[in-house]
Amino acid sequence: MRRKKLGLLLSGVMMFGLLAGCGGKSADSPNPSGNAAGTAQETGPKETVKLKFFTGKVETVDLMNTLIQKFNSENPGIEVEQEYQKDASNVIKVKFASGDIPDITTVVEQDYIDQGKYLDLSSEPFWPRVLPAVKELSTDVKSGKQYQVATNVTMAGIFYNKKIYQELGLKEALTWDEFKANLQAVKDKKPDVTPLFIAGRESWTLGHLIEFLAHGIIKQDLGVKSSREAFINNESDKLKFDQENGPIDTFAKRLLELQDAGLINKDALTATYDNQKEAFATGKAAMISQGMWVVADLLKISPDFQNDIGFSPYPSIQDGTKPVVLSADDSRYAITAESKHPEEAKKFLEFLLQPENLKTYSEFLKSPPAFTDVTADWGPLKEQANQALSSGVNIAFTDSPSGFSGDDAGRMVQELLAGQYANSLDFAKAYKDAWDKAWKATHR
Amino acid sequence: MNILRKLWNDLHLFMALPAILLFGLFFIYPLVQGIGISLTDSNGMTAPRFIGLHNFADFFHDARAKRDVYNTVFFAIGSAPLLNLFGFLYALILDRPFKGKGFVRAVVYLPAVISPLIMGYVWYFILQPDRGFLYHLLASLHLGTGGSDWLGNAHSALIVLVFINVWQFVGMTMIIYLAGLQSIPKELYEAGEIDGAGYLKSLWYITIPMVVQSIKINVVTNIIGSLSVFEVIIALTDGGPGYSTESLSIYILRMLYGSFTGYSTAVAMILFAMIIIPVFIFMRYINKKEFEM
Repeated sequence: MRRKKLGLLLSGVMMFGLLAGCGGKSADSPNPSGNAAGTAQETGPKETVKLKFFTGKVETVDLMNTLIQKFNSENPGIEVEQEYQKDASNVIKVKFASGDIPDITTVVEQDYIDQGKYLDLSSEPFWPRVLPAVKELSTDVKSGKQYQVATNVTMAGIFYNKKIYQELGLKEALTWDEFKANLQAVKDKKPDVTPLFIAGRESWTLGHLIEFLAHGIIKQDLGVKSSREAFINNESDKLKFDQENGPIDTFAKRLLELQDAGLINKDALTATYDNQKEAFATGKAAMISQGMWVVADLLKISPDFQNDIGFSPYPSIQDGTKPVVLSADDSRYAITAESKHPEEAKKFLEFLLQPENLKTYSEFLKSPPAFTDVTADWGPLKEQANQALSSGVNIAFTDSPSGFSGDDAGRMVQELLAGQYANSLDFAKAYKDAWDKAWKATHR
Repeated sequence: MNILRKLWNDLHLFMALPAILLFGLFFIYPLVQGIGISLTDSNGMTAPRFIGLHNFADFFHDARAKRDVYNTVFFAIGSAPLLNLFGFLYALILDRPFKGKGFVRAVVYLPAVISPLIMGYVWYFILQPDRGFLYHLLASLHLGTGGSDWLGNAHSALIVLVFINVWQFVGMTMIIYLAGLQSIPKELYEAGEIDGAGYLKSLWYITIPMVVQSIKINVVTNIIGSLSVFEVIIALTDGGPGYSTESLSIYILRMLYGSFTGYSTAVAMILFAMIIIPVFIFMRYINKKEFEM
């Protein structure tokens, strides 16, 4: 009997051990053993140095593999390995905490900059080649140094089907009423077409909605530098997250308006990013909210769709505000401060920033390069993108607390669409609570 | 010489040493470390501070955690009894001789060998409204639209999750019951028959008491498995919509990701208690029953 109890206890302990093992350890504990290549360098100069490249950019995984292959063959002593993770901004936290630190990564978070997790790249020779606006966005507002470099400029806004617009005599919407009227016209005259297709299973696409539409109000009110500081320092009097008719409350109201009027797909909570691309590229959806990163995939699905893709800014969702278009640094790279091979990592970064590789990257991603010495035929939306940039206020990505990623924000939008908040203000209050909680976790 | 002989004779006592060492290294050490972390405000980045039982107190005021407890318990209460019931019924049916028995057993068991993650994605594509396999099937049979978004609704999504879990692992439960059934000596049934026992009496007085070891294994593994559910939810709903189908295991991971390392470890300890307590109660009950029988 006693043996049985002991067995039971031990199996329970094992179970808990498994769970508790996930607890990780503080990054402050001295554990620099994460880099597998660490021993390689010490044993002899001929050993191959292994670099870990960690990314959350699913759309570039194949392209990066090709570039890595090229780099590896040109640099016999160095071997770069790519690791992709879906929830990369969260996974990297575990990597930092457990000592499994990548050498170079696309994941850059303010909290980690504050913690000194990235190498200072301020004195690297490539900066004069970078567009001044991108350099500004790559500059840490606290220290004034650059810990990251972006290869491209990306844009996000409303993608619409030009054919459907022409057929129904619609114009690009700049105000909320115009936008809703366009959607309603699609619904009324083309019942088989979804007016606005939302890919709500992918929480990041919903996170983007809140980031561009709701935060867009804050960003245009405060301007680039001041809004970045407000987000980074959690200046609640400027962010006004929980204010009635504030940015979040207004956003929630607008989204619910669309849902109530049946202007979004009825499976908005379970439709995937692939479903969204498919629906739009095949003419089953009139509009989607996405970034330029979607274009390459749209053309893969339907190569003839090229001339039918329209791009416009997000309409202003609040009276007195202007339409916005995301125009931000994209494909950022940072080298980790604890990398055992910073020189090799810099060499790889240098390789990625070579004009011909930037050109390949830009053309693959259908996204304009952030480097002045790169001329790339980056896509069919060049002119429309320029037009959108002039008709909308240009906003950047939000610097969110590391514990409140775009996925987390998106899950809250899922809750909103699933009717789990009594009203839009409740959503706004919950949003502020979640943001504050995450911010406080790393600022004490 | 005597000492050597004694040592030689007692050598078997040390046979478990490597296992104990591994157990200590991979389970006891992280456990102790986990207990330590759960008492701090560790965020995985800055130096942790000791905050006593603060994390545990927070748990009881955390609305999301409460909902996750509800989801986890709902899932377990839905899954564990159904798995045992259907596993046992399948075993009774498939223990009888009939043609193609092996094939049917394999079909029932097959889903259990596929990763719950893959199975979740497969079911996701079956259940998608308007474009899923089920929608097209029902539409072709003129049986309604089949367009309901079962996974987009918190209540139906939880029920779907239970259904898929039972469907996937019923074969595993069945195999363990089958092993138990096959170990029952035929003489017992013959003796029962002579004494005039019918099928139901034989089932109650012979079969069930004789498969009590299988019941123990199945109930315990099903309780542990369903209370720590993770993969199938990730694949099918990702805990959504929002957090409405999030289980405690997923919450633990997300808190760990979200700079709440100390809190996440405390929740892991609470989940451990949630698992071990019903298992303990069940084992006490069944051992007492076994003694009585």
